[in-house]
Amino acid sequence: MKKIAISGLIAGLILFAISYGGLYLAVRFFPNLFIEYNSPLFNSDGSRDLMFYMHPFIISFALSWFWARCKSVFKGHMLFRGLEFGFVYALVALLPVMWITFSSLDITITIVLSWFFYGLMQAILAGLIFAKINP
Amino acid sequence: MSARSTLLLLCFVAYFGYSFQPPKPTKWVISKSCSLKVAGSTNINKFNCAIANYYKPDTLTFYKNTHNENVKITGKMELDVNNFDCHNPVMTADLRKTLKAKAYPKLTINFINLDKYPDFKEKNGEVKGKVNIELAGVTKTFDVNYKFIVNGTNTLILVGTRRVNFSDFKIIPPRKLGGMIETNDELDIEFNLNLKMMN
Repeated sequence: MKKIAISGLIAGLILFAISYGGLYLAVRFFPNLFIEYNSPLFNSDGSRDLMFYMHPFIISFALSWFWARCKSVFKGHMLFRGLEFGFVYALVALLPVMWITFSSLDITITIVLSWFFYGLMQAILAGLIFAKINP
Repeated sequence: MSARSTLLLLCFVAYFGYSFQPPKPTKWVISKSCSLKVAGSTNINKFNCAIANYYKPDTLTFYKNTHNENVKITGKMELDVNNFDCHNPVMTADLRKTLKAKAYPKLTINFINLDKYPDFKEKNGEVKGKVNIELAGVTKTFDVNYKFIVNGTNTLILVGTRRVNFSDFKIIPPRKLGGMIETNDELDIEFNLNLKMMN
């Protein structure tokens, strides 16, 4: 349990820095990709900012637990284990969620694909961290 | 009372009676093709929204004071916030939500005064004035710069411009993705009034 918590915390901190650093740079250098976020669909009063910024820790702790339960399934070099873990998460969790999101919300395919790619990158990164510190 | 005193008193009464005569009202009807435009920006884009073709047969009454240049006005423009169009459905919906259109569907501009009556000898010119703007349940007084264009006899186009802040109306500018996308507080307002003199 302690190993899961420590791996989750480390992965959370790294994901936090990379995810929001990347997001900040993307908003700055590719602003046109984000115009659609000026929509009433997205929370705009700042009341959920804390929840928004907790996301890397939520996903990291969840994936850390998942890794601890299933790490024996992922074999081979650390890089391959991390990559495979990321793709498994994307296939099992992200794809169905993105599917229902796109089918039910009035958002573009570009946004959904960007969310899928963002989640995939987070899961691969988390997988690499877990393969390194909790092999 | 001597004849001289009586004469002085009569002069006094005549002078001040003349001075205090009520201002002459001039009625102007708001005709078609009036509009209200707002322009703002976020850290990723700019937006221009408008209520075009505002038309309600409202009347503005200008009270021209003979001695004081200040012209009192009564009358207002009452606009439906839901008629804002930002030429992008997403931005349009977001602006309406930001302006609390469901709770406060009307944006009202109450005209208070002008610093002088537009000079009809000139084709165009500038005047200043005050308005009360009521938005999202908050009313605030603003100084407005007007440009006027005399358009034929008895027809006047008044273009009022003013920079306001969302915060003036206790509106929090929208912020998305944890503040990564932020709307700037400033909003440039421009209203175009086509007026036709009634009397």
